[in-house]
Amino acid sequence: MPDSRIHSSSPEAAPAGRQSRAHAWYEAYGQAVYSYVRFHVASADEADDVTAETFLKVLAAEERFDPQRGEARVWIFRIAQNTLRDHHRRSRVRRHTSLGAMRDLVADAPTAEERLLWEEEVSRLLAAVADLGERDREVIGLRYGSGMDTATVAQVLGVRESAVRTRLWRALGRLRVLLEEDTP
Amino acid sequence: MIAQLADPRDLDALLGRIQFRPRASLEGEVAGRWARGDRPTPGPRPVGNKLVWLGVLLLLLGAVLYLVQSGFGGLAQVRTVDRCCEDFDGGGDRDDGMLVVSRQGSDVQRLAIYEDLDGSRSYTAGDALRFDRSGRPSLQQPLTAGMRTFELCCRDYDGGGPADDAVVIMALPPDRIAMAAIYERLPAAGDKSLR
Repeated sequence: MPDSRIHSSSPEAAPAGRQSRAHAWYEAYGQAVYSYVRFHVASADEADDVTAETFLKVLAAEERFDPQRGEARVWIFRIAQNTLRDHHRRSRVRRHTSLGAMRDLVADAPTAEERLLWEEEVSRLLAAVADLGERDREVIGLRYGSGMDTATVAQVLGVRESAVRTRLWRALGRLRVLLEEDTP
Repeated sequence: MIAQLADPRDLDALLGRIQFRPRASLEGEVAGRWARGDRPTPGPRPVGNKLVWLGVLLLLLGAVLYLVQSGFGGLAQVRTVDRCCEDFDGGGDRDDGMLVVSRQGSDVQRLAIYEDLDGSRSYTAGDALRFDRSGRPSLQQPLTAGMRTFELCCRDYDGGGPADDAVVIMALPPDRIAMAAIYERLPAAGDKSLR
């Protein structure tokens, strides 16, 4: 399945005017931000709220964005990280996933039964991700949720790429242990 | 499929397949909220961080108060003065020395009187300790007949600077000392208490 989360259009070069720029930002990063957020929240509704809030912050702050100082996607994902953190602080609800809450999952399953199986698998995976520590969740969400490569994840986290690789490898190891424990 | 994940690389591949897509109306909703003047809500104040900073501030304040109270440095300000030689035990010979350990040159922590047996004019391993105390002055021997009290003034016994200290000693000559203390002579306001 082709990865369509980040589009190659450049919102910085979009024509002037808030509406058109809002469209450009969303067009370029909307799905990536949403998918990243979705790795951290239990429902599509929550992901909608956090994504909308992220883009409102992007619009409010875009005049301060300086392309000379870093890539737009790194800037946006830092805003998304902070928005997600605020959301968790406000809600203080334990994150979990449940079956039937996967209406926003992209699936190329040819049959309804295969789609259900895929939804169930992703539910179990995300439930296990939710049981990881915050650092593990963060690196997994950025790498797999947003679809960014490890070099860009390193820029968002402000660490070296080798550190991201190590952190990711360890997080995957711990996730595997959790999944094994969960297997009947 | 999850049950067969023997290697983190399989997990990597599986997670890489997961994609979510927001509902199509979300973009229009964001643009609409922005157009209506809806602005991002400010994040909640990080109470936890605030409490941590408050704790750090209180600790710093406590440390500063402690330093002020203990005279900025505690052990670093401890002074040792070795005065030799006087007749501190009433024996008749000026062969006694006094060792005073004080903080800030005023708070006496230890006071010892020794006989300078080796004639070095300072306390050395070969000298005999006649009296040794810490903290407040107290009697170390019972009061007996023949005991004498005498006072020597004025020298800098505590290392405070000026030669304004007196020493008061209760001794049973020739070499037994029951009590020794020093005090500061302050002619205008009266003497300071024994220490």
